[in-house]
Amino acid sequence: MNPSLKLAWVVLLALELSFTQVWTVNLVLIVISLILMLACHVPLKRLLWLTGVPLFFASALVWSLTLQGSASHHFLIVIFTRMFVYVYLGGLFTQTTDPLILTRSLEQNAHLPSKFAYGFLAAFNLMPKIQAEVASIKAAALMRGQVLHVWSPQLYFKAILTAMHWSDQLSLAMTSHGFVEGAPRTQAEVIPLRRRDWWLTAGSLIIIQVGLFTGLP
Amino acid sequence: MKAWHLRDIILVTILAIFMGVIFFVIGPVYTVLSAALAPAGLQPLANEILLGIWVMAGPLAGYIIRIPGAATLGELLGAVVEMFLGGVWGASTLISGVVQGFGSELGFILTGYKRYNWLTLVISALTTTIVTFTWSLFRAGYASYHLGFLAMLFTVRFISVFLFGGVLTKLITNLLARAHVVKNIR
Repeated sequence: MNPSLKLAWVVLLALELSFTQVWTVNLVLIVISLILMLACHVPLKRLLWLTGVPLFFASALVWSLTLQGSASHHFLIVIFTRMFVYVYLGGLFTQTTDPLILTRSLEQNAHLPSKFAYGFLAAFNLMPKIQAEVASIKAAALMRGQVLHVWSPQLYFKAILTAMHWSDQLSLAMTSHGFVEGAPRTQAEVIPLRRRDWWLTAGSLIIIQVGLFTGLP
Repeated sequence: MKAWHLRDIILVTILAIFMGVIFFVIGPVYTVLSAALAPAGLQPLANEILLGIWVMAGPLAGYIIRIPGAATLGELLGAVVEMFLGGVWGASTLISGVVQGFGSELGFILTGYKRYNWLTLVISALTTTIVTFTWSLFRAGYASYHLGFLAMLFTVRFISVFLFGGVLTKLITNLLARAHVVKNIR
């Protein structure tokens, strides 16, 4: 399926389910995303992780709602299943979508300006360097006997200096390699947006609307 | 009004990734704190205490980059980083990212993107708390809590957001001002 449509579908659903209270629809979505994840060969370890974490948080949430609030049983079931829907839908999306293809699709199909698409890509490719930089900032401080915590301004100060330095260099490098903001571009890899994708998105959304608004528990 | 250029886009993304990497260590703390508070039915409190750390990317990006949308984009990209680094909440992280980012953005909107001082950060912390709390009322069923408990959660959340998004952001930008590295921060 087209990555942009898939993203829109997942976000729209998560948003709508936050405001509706039908646990049967939640349950059906949980089962469907589980089947789809199994069909896409998501590793079992990841699936267990995706089940354990919401199990803990949903149970804790339901428990505190029982102790500190006045929620009905129906609402508790809704909240419990809702946490699983969030995690499973999210898992289905991240496990079956490649960030590079998603960015290309957002640029080509969703018409995100190319300066954003390529700016994001350029920065995200620095991820390993950024992780190493945070470690080296901390190590450098330790050598002078300073321990930097999450609440130490120095840690962020140094990170921001590096961020400004790198973004200057990267944007200069991109410009010198011929990147022009707003100029028309050709694509090396075209991401297809088929009729089938639209039908699948619209059809499943309509079915879910029927489930949500016909008085199911 | 300043517009977005390639350099700013890369800067806000790198900033968001830095914040994401720094905060990745907070994940286990959240789980441990939740587990410790859960038996007493106080699990939401873990969320409230740490929320300020998560929403910090918003006010920091808004304060440093000073282009409309910077706070929202910074926080949204932070959520994207979390999603692809292996956070479990997936797409709902993106929605929370937009909600939190817009919350702090409101603070800058209300001051017209002109004043950047304590007042802006206090307003931003307040709007962040109000907007994210409204979202929690629906998403996590907060509306069913007793009023006293709800007031306690709100207060803790505001303190957390103010300490990290307000006080810490101000301390960081003070350092930047002393170093004379950013033209518009003095």
